[in-house]
Amino acid sequence: MGHGGAGDSCDSANHFLVDEMSEKHHIIPVWFFVGVLLLIYGVIIFATGLAEWSHPPDTVLADLHAPVWWGGLLMVLGGIYCALFRPGKSTN
Amino acid sequence: MQMTPLFAFAVSTPERLVRLSRADLAIIAIYFALVLAIGFYLKRFAKTGEDFFLAGREMTAWVAGLAFVSANLGSLELLGWAGSAYQYGIMAAHWYWIGAIPAMVFLGLVMMPFYYISKTHSVPGYLKLRYGPEASTLSAITFAVMTVLMSGVNMFAMAVVMKVVLGWNINFSIWVSSLTVGIYVAAGGLFSAIFNEVLQFFLIWFGALLIPILGFSETGGWSGMVARIHQNFPGQDFTHMWQPMSSPNNNPMGMYWVGIVFGLALVQSMGYWTTDFLVVQRVLSAKDIRSAKMAPIIGSFFKMAVPLIVIFPGVLGRAVLPMHLMPASNLQAGQYSYNEVLPLMLARYCGPALLGLGITALIAGFMAGMAGNVSAFATVWTYDIYRPYVNKSAPDQHYVSMGRWCTLIGLVISIGTAYIVMRFASIMDYVQALFSFFIAPLFGTVILGMLWKRVSRAAGFWGLLAGTLSSITMFCLMKFDPEHWVRVFALSPIAQPLAQDMYQSLWSCVVCVVVTVLVTLVTKPRAESELVGLVYSLTPLAREEHASWWHRPVVWGTAALVILVILQIIFW
Repeated sequence: MGHGGAGDSCDSANHFLVDEMSEKHHIIPVWFFVGVLLLIYGVIIFATGLAEWSHPPDTVLADLHAPVWWGGLLMVLGGIYCALFRPGKSTN
Repeated sequence: MQMTPLFAFAVSTPERLVRLSRADLAIIAIYFALVLAIGFYLKRFAKTGEDFFLAGREMTAWVAGLAFVSANLGSLELLGWAGSAYQYGIMAAHWYWIGAIPAMVFLGLVMMPFYYISKTHSVPGYLKLRYGPEASTLSAITFAVMTVLMSGVNMFAMAVVMKVVLGWNINFSIWVSSLTVGIYVAAGGLFSAIFNEVLQFFLIWFGALLIPILGFSETGGWSGMVARIHQNFPGQDFTHMWQPMSSPNNNPMGMYWVGIVFGLALVQSMGYWTTDFLVVQRVLSAKDIRSAKMAPIIGSFFKMAVPLIVIFPGVLGRAVLPMHLMPASNLQAGQYSYNEVLPLMLARYCGPALLGLGITALIAGFMAGMAGNVSAFATVWTYDIYRPYVNKSAPDQHYVSMGRWCTLIGLVISIGTAYIVMRFASIMDYVQALFSFFIAPLFGTVILGMLWKRVSRAAGFWGLLAGTLSSITMFCLMKFDPEHWVRVFALSPIAQPLAQDMYQSLWSCVVCVVVTVLVTLVTKPRAESELVGLVYSLTPLAREEHASWWHRPVVWGTAALVILVILQIIFW
């Protein structure tokens, strides 16, 4: 759930993007779980891409090494989500 | 919203399309482990009825909006519409743009305040407040049947796709997926369903977005794709949305633009997005009225982008795939059906690990589809059938327990449905028909009730019943004597099932409205004091002048409509 803003400086833009939830339940934000999943998948895909760098799979455009940059993107996004929405992070 | 038959998967290909590596299997296993862990984690928060059935009514606009659009983005829909895009070209995007965006904005700006202010748990619940128990019960029963059937169809479709794509055993797929869904929804209720829908949303985007990126890289952009399609299929137009609709003879759907504008945009999409409780339930979980209004509007921006990962891969398939895909009903050994275009494109561009991500996205989509249906079923059964007719005054905890058991019972019935579906290769046609039987007339009943205070209790029930029966009658006539009746109802003898469906929805809604108006004129209206909070002219709605312009739903709703118009012009 959209618990928490984007850090201590919860400006209005961030407040609009990810509103605070009510105080009824203190649930770990769903964005944290999204971050964990993206981070783990990013690591696996990036590592697989590196491992097959010299022997790319038999797919079209394999020379573009999509797993490396796509896995890297997932890692970065996952890391950002995990950091911003980690449990216990202050919202104000 | 609409789906195409996927069951030809079962007979279409003699061997699996892809083989998974250890990295792919690890990605799939991690997904199952995470959703189960989230379900167990959320169990402690789903204690009251409002927690279990409406996720505590504390979701932010973004979470409710993502869940709202994600509940509709199941894999059945994903694979089916990619197949339709291969078959009909970019015209299939009508179902994502004009067939969704105006309805989502309308839900947010006009209808959501009434659903939210009335504090109802469901759409049948609103009908009960507005019209009384007759219309509500009719709608609750038909909806409960529809959700369980849809859940079973999702389950079977997933098992068949996994069998054909990966070579997995059908029973294994059905039982593992339904057990997983059963555990996490029974534990956390709508909390779990919504959490997993948000996860699924990200998975689908990151699993499928590589296909258009690499596809357009291969063709050299849009113009390269169009040139290749013209080369592969000379004389056919798959890249314009409105131009070929000047006559049914000019497009592969056999549809005149009237069907899209009135049948799809005005009736069927309005009906689906504003009265199908499966999607409306997500918005009802919003924490306040502004969030409830913003949620569908936020969802509309994401919905507008979905053709990038569903429609474009289908159209790209026309340009880059070496083989020509065939209709599911017409396959021979070694051929592939339209519905297999997405797995084929996935296998074309994705090697180890990326393939696992794509397959996990499909699995997540199927499981979210099942979860959405069983959670909606549990709510409607508990609040609109069990509570009013079986046990009126039990404590809240009793209804939560009933909801948990309903989730499991709903899944068991779904599993039974999945096995029954195996015997009927064309059952999806009938599921689509069920959808248009109940949703299109329901829209007429709900919208008249919200906008016209004069509509009476009897008029609500008889209008809904007449609309539903007329839809069933039209369906039967077009099935049993298509040569005569398709021309009459769908305005063209060559109208395809998708086009027939649009007109069936349009006429059934018209019948519902006409009968409702006629019965209203000869029956006594309800007292105005009973309709406060339920009817537009009698409900004081909160003004938003105090909010800054970027916080106002109407501003973002207008922005969504402007972008919609621009997209129509670009792809005209």
